[in-house]
Amino acid sequence: MPIKILTTVLAYLCIAAMATAQASLKLPETVKVDPAALTAEPICDPKISAAWREAQVIEGVHIQESRRCSPDNPHLIAAVVKGTNNISMGTLMETALSPDTIIKTDDIDGDGDPDRIIIRLEVMELNGQSPDFEGLIPTFDIAPGVQPGAWVFAPKTRGMSTENFESVRANSLLRLPSPVIRVEQGDIVQIVLENTHYLPHTIHLHGVDHPFTHHGGHVAGGDGVPQTSEMFLMPGESRTYEFQARQTGTMLYHCHVQTHTHLAMGLVGMIIVEENRPNNWVQTLNVGGGQVRQPSVAILEEFDQEYDLHYHAMDKELHEIIQKYNDPRLVARDMNRKYDITDSTEDYFTLNGLSFPYTLRESIITVEADQKIKLRVANTASEMLALHTHGHKATITHYDGIEHNPIAQIQRDVYDIGPAQRLDLTLNTTNDGLNSYGEGIWLFHDHREKGITTNGMSPGGNVSSITYKSYLNEMGLPMGIGIDVSKYFTKEFHARTLPIFQDLDEVGSLGAPAGQSRLESFNPESRTDMLNLFYGLLAGILLYLLFAKRQQTLQAVSGITAKLKGSKGSANNE
Amino acid sequence: MNKHLSILFAAILFVTAQAHAETEDHSGHNMDHSGHDMSHDHEHDMSHHGDDDHKIDDPEDHSMHHADDHSDHSAHGHGHHHMDDSHIMDHEGGMIMGQIKDKLPSSCDSISEDIEITVHAGKKYAEKFPGTMFAFDKQEWRVKPCARITWHLVNDDHVRHQFMMHGLPRYMYNNGMFHLEVTGPRTISGTMIVPASDETYLVHCDISQHMEKGMKAQLVVGNGSEDLPSIPGLTPYAFPDTYPYEDLPQVSDKDDEDTIMEQITDFIDSTPVLSGMLIIGLLLGALIAPIVSRIISLRKKEEAPE
Repeated sequence: MPIKILTTVLAYLCIAAMATAQASLKLPETVKVDPAALTAEPICDPKISAAWREAQVIEGVHIQESRRCSPDNPHLIAAVVKGTNNISMGTLMETALSPDTIIKTDDIDGDGDPDRIIIRLEVMELNGQSPDFEGLIPTFDIAPGVQPGAWVFAPKTRGMSTENFESVRANSLLRLPSPVIRVEQGDIVQIVLENTHYLPHTIHLHGVDHPFTHHGGHVAGGDGVPQTSEMFLMPGESRTYEFQARQTGTMLYHCHVQTHTHLAMGLVGMIIVEENRPNNWVQTLNVGGGQVRQPSVAILEEFDQEYDLHYHAMDKELHEIIQKYNDPRLVARDMNRKYDITDSTEDYFTLNGLSFPYTLRESIITVEADQKIKLRVANTASEMLALHTHGHKATITHYDGIEHNPIAQIQRDVYDIGPAQRLDLTLNTTNDGLNSYGEGIWLFHDHREKGITTNGMSPGGNVSSITYKSYLNEMGLPMGIGIDVSKYFTKEFHARTLPIFQDLDEVGSLGAPAGQSRLESFNPESRTDMLNLFYGLLAGILLYLLFAKRQQTLQAVSGITAKLKGSKGSANNE
Repeated sequence: MNKHLSILFAAILFVTAQAHAETEDHSGHNMDHSGHDMSHDHEHDMSHHGDDDHKIDDPEDHSMHHADDHSDHSAHGHGHHHMDDSHIMDHEGGMIMGQIKDKLPSSCDSISEDIEITVHAGKKYAEKFPGTMFAFDKQEWRVKPCARITWHLVNDDHVRHQFMMHGLPRYMYNNGMFHLEVTGPRTISGTMIVPASDETYLVHCDISQHMEKGMKAQLVVGNGSEDLPSIPGLTPYAFPDTYPYEDLPQVSDKDDEDTIMEQITDFIDSTPVLSGMLIIGLLLGALIAPIVSRIISLRKKEEAPE
């Protein structure tokens, strides 16, 4: 038996040695990954009805066309413009909103629009842990298969958190980023925060004119700071933040509990105060940001379109914490005491909650020549954003919601935005070599190069494009003459197992080389080490066998010596 | 040697105490099952049980009804929406889905019992289960096959909670579900009928992380089937967390003159050597050693005749 093993091992070593000798003669062939081996998904989600892209009127709400692959549900737009209290049951049932999510009442100034607005928000976890199975729930991919744990303020929904009982995917209202909130200047707004999460949270209205505190801070919210203006809003509790904004502008709202982690986890969104106009029913929520399908009256006076662009970044290690533990005490321990933000590096860079290639689905800016487009840009990452627009130089009109002196307004092609800062840009698509270079698919992205990666791999991150309609296909996807983008819609690309240069030419001159056998792939030094280890192992086994079968061995040895002696003896005898 | 023995003894004591505590906790729950308190003193009681006023002729009629006026904050508030009798939603998002009052399951000849069960939901019911955040007041209910149950879901929190049951026959219940949902503090009620088979049904709140953080229970019909995992105090987690020792500051650390007893307890409490793994190791060792010695002695006996 040991002899058999020994011969097998020796034979293997011989073959390995031969292979090593051969390897130096010819380098390995290129191996191409067969597209059939990939977990691909359609570039455009086929579940979305094409009718959603059309301009339409629902419940008297004029909804602009949205030529994106993933446009907002027009029924949702109608519901958030009119308020869930002013729409038909049929429209409400087309959304997952609760009937009390947005209550619009009381035209106090008699100008034809409601002035008392109640907005109910819940706190939802995405890509969280389960004690019942190894996967995450409810899932939200920022790119195919990329699922960082996150918390969001979400419009109050009804029913399940997932699409249905069979699915683990979050329903469409539970997503990154926290929704953009729009109110009219002078509205009496109540944001009701219902803390459905297992940790304490608050809302701090960053830049929006609000009172410091209301009645001691236990019932009503103020500045949202638990150390100064109010208490922690514990799980299962609800609090109302009431304000009447006197100033307009692009602002933020975010959780002010352990802000260094809670903001990064996703509890941050844009809030916009629109100018007061008659008959101005503003689109109270823009779920997922991007195109505003029902811009306010004041915006339409000056612009053709309006877009909300919320940039964010995430440190993988922070977002993994809620996927490691189920016990809220352990989550709190790691969030509060183990995680060190001064050692953090940002890994995921998102625009409106998504990274490339999903940014192609819903964050492209679709334009025509000679348009004026309002871009509201917020940066909630912890580092500077250097946003660059290809083919266009936009004008910065507002800093942090405040209009810049019109004479002093500047035009650039890289706009630097610090953490929590906002810029309002006017994008002019007049082809004059300054405002626009002409029609095309013009990227816009962070020009810190890591911003266009996902966990350090490109293309990814917050890349999107300003796409002229003549370059859009019927599904709202840019028709480039570059390479096929479908490989980016695979899990394998994001799992780093797809060599992206393999199809640049027929022979695959930049594809992946075929692998060598284990032994070959070691460098000479470690190969010697491995061989030594192997010999050592063999010696060990032999020694063990000698020891374990020592009686037989002794017998055999004595037998042999006896034979030898015998033969000697016999020789002597002869 | 003496020191080791004392550590072993302490460990055994510790483990026994833990086990004892757990058993007590568990039995405490089982005893809870008898008493269902039926308090209805909530401001916004909107129970629908036995109330047929809401029946409408056309089940496809999606028009709004202004039957009840709950509008405490809104002049535009509307009453209950009726998809049909089995699917009712009010203007605050209170929902009843899969309500069945009269239709008998095909496996039942008649209703075996007519019962009402009040279920409380909220953060405070999670207090007795460390490491959870939301829970129902009870984790298990037992009913007879073919029982007609009117559930009163009392949400004691100020957020949404759900009482969602799965696995019911799909010919009666849409997607096999019976579902109550309400934002507290409020009560919502709905009626259902269970089939004749012995079955254990999942009851949970599907709001993100509510079930995972404790809001999970089971309805046992007849003798039931298999227990569901991860129900607080009832069944263990399928994928439990691990709890490494943490050297947290203690009052006793500040005392200069510790008594001998304190020093001993400090040693037991704070020595990292006394980790869970060590205890497991000691117990395993204690368990295996005699077996090994037995095997050795057996071997010797076998060898002896040779």
